[in-house]
Amino acid sequence: MTTSQPPVTTEERLAGLRRAAPVLLLLLALVVASLLSAGTASTAGLRLASPDRSRVDQVRQAIGNLPDNALVLIACDADLGTYPEIRAATRVAIDDLAAHGARLAIVSFTPEGRAIAAAERDRISRGGRIEPPADLGYVAGAEAGLVRSIASIVPAGAEGAVAEAIRERGGGIGAFDMVVIVSGSDISARSWVEQVGSRLPDLPLIGIAPTFLDPELEPYLRSGQLAGLLGTLRDGIAYTEAVSAGSATSPGPTPGPLPMLIGMLAAIGALAEAAFRRLVRRRGRHLRSGRAP
Amino acid sequence: MNGFAGTDLAGTIATWVAAIATIAVWSYLVGARRIFVLMQHLLAGLATGYLVLLAIRDVMMPRLVLPLIQQPRDNGLLLLVLVPVGMLIAATWLPRRAMAPVSAILVGGIAAFALGGAVVGTILPQIAAALPAGRAPSGDLAGEVISLAITSLVLLAFLHGAPRGTVTTRAANVGRWLLVGGIGGWIGFLVVSRLSLLVDRIGFLLGDWLTVLR
Repeated sequence: MTTSQPPVTTEERLAGLRRAAPVLLLLLALVVASLLSAGTASTAGLRLASPDRSRVDQVRQAIGNLPDNALVLIACDADLGTYPEIRAATRVAIDDLAAHGARLAIVSFTPEGRAIAAAERDRISRGGRIEPPADLGYVAGAEAGLVRSIASIVPAGAEGAVAEAIRERGGGIGAFDMVVIVSGSDISARSWVEQVGSRLPDLPLIGIAPTFLDPELEPYLRSGQLAGLLGTLRDGIAYTEAVSAGSATSPGPTPGPLPMLIGMLAAIGALAEAAFRRLVRRRGRHLRSGRAP
Repeated sequence: MNGFAGTDLAGTIATWVAAIATIAVWSYLVGARRIFVLMQHLLAGLATGYLVLLAIRDVMMPRLVLPLIQQPRDNGLLLLVLVPVGMLIAATWLPRRAMAPVSAILVGGIAAFALGGAVVGTILPQIAAALPAGRAPSGDLAGEVISLAITSLVLLAFLHGAPRGTVTTRAANVGRWLLVGGIGGWIGFLVVSRLSLLVDRIGFLLGDWLTVLR
């Protein structure tokens, strides 16, 4: 009885490996594609950056229109699960703002965003090229916190030139000349438009968002409630390329076009396979019931 | 290099821990469920610890405890706040009737912010932006008519149980398929986001950890 146990286990393991084979093959293909891409923006004629530069131009124009010594708030509320997609664009935006002489402050309304904001501040401090944004910390209360921050956003213990400048201008979100919203699923540019934009209509809001938020945010760009939006990976990379061109600084790695293409093909393949299976099952049901499919 | 970990010893340890955790999570693909469950527990534990720390350090201490200690006279209202906070913490042991007002205030407040913001910040400005008033008829007008038609069809799809004729039923079916198409399109956007994360993780393993992409 007990001697039959090992072969069954081995068979089970083999079956498990067989089931996992497509995913493991995909991982292997992505590894090879990443090695081939190796940090270059284009591979064998493939380009991930969007050829339509209108959104990039809009964002750059909004940043270019900032007054001297402008106060800019970076609202970092990205998700850990989607931040890699917008990381390069966010870093380049911070560099771009610093290059335009803006005085930066960073705040978060979500715990995940706070962790990312702290890590980015730490990275900027280590780099030493630019002054890290003034830390306005974490504001609890989600949308209620957003509304409260319109009146007061600087923590009592915050010190430094930027914190003082914000206090001199009233101490709330209205003290800023622009807000760059690094969006996630909990608090996104939409929350800002709804809660802050309706109360401070003259404050330019720029959104940097992962692709899945783009359909939700695009109407706000078209209605003018957002002054700029980098809402897809392709827009983000186009912006990164436009700002980084001629600059010695690097925003870090961006996804290569080849791995993304392979991944998308795999996703389409999985979808087609599921549709085919459903079709076969349906046909079988019809044949069994004696009806035409 | 994603730049989060430095080149010092702490950074190197962080990179190794992150790389091992990534591979441990992926081990689920080959059936190593115990390792995956261990990683889940690690994530839950770390997230709870982080949230507790954040709540104490960034919320409770600066916004509640310190103001009450330093300027108790000016912050008398905060004492009132302590009552619902305490009740929410002890909700399991309190009778439902006692908890009802506190929960109602909480839910009502959240709903008020969400609904008020949606009406004032989204619905009204979006309708205003979509109206063709003051503009010459153009391609936008056709787009607006199509948007209105699609919205009507999708709304029809929600009319479950209402008496309907053949035309309304067919229109509702079209609306349902439009809804399915919309959700499918959105899932496509979501796939791109998740794929970026996967590609980034592979880039992290190859670049930051194994340093073959440097």
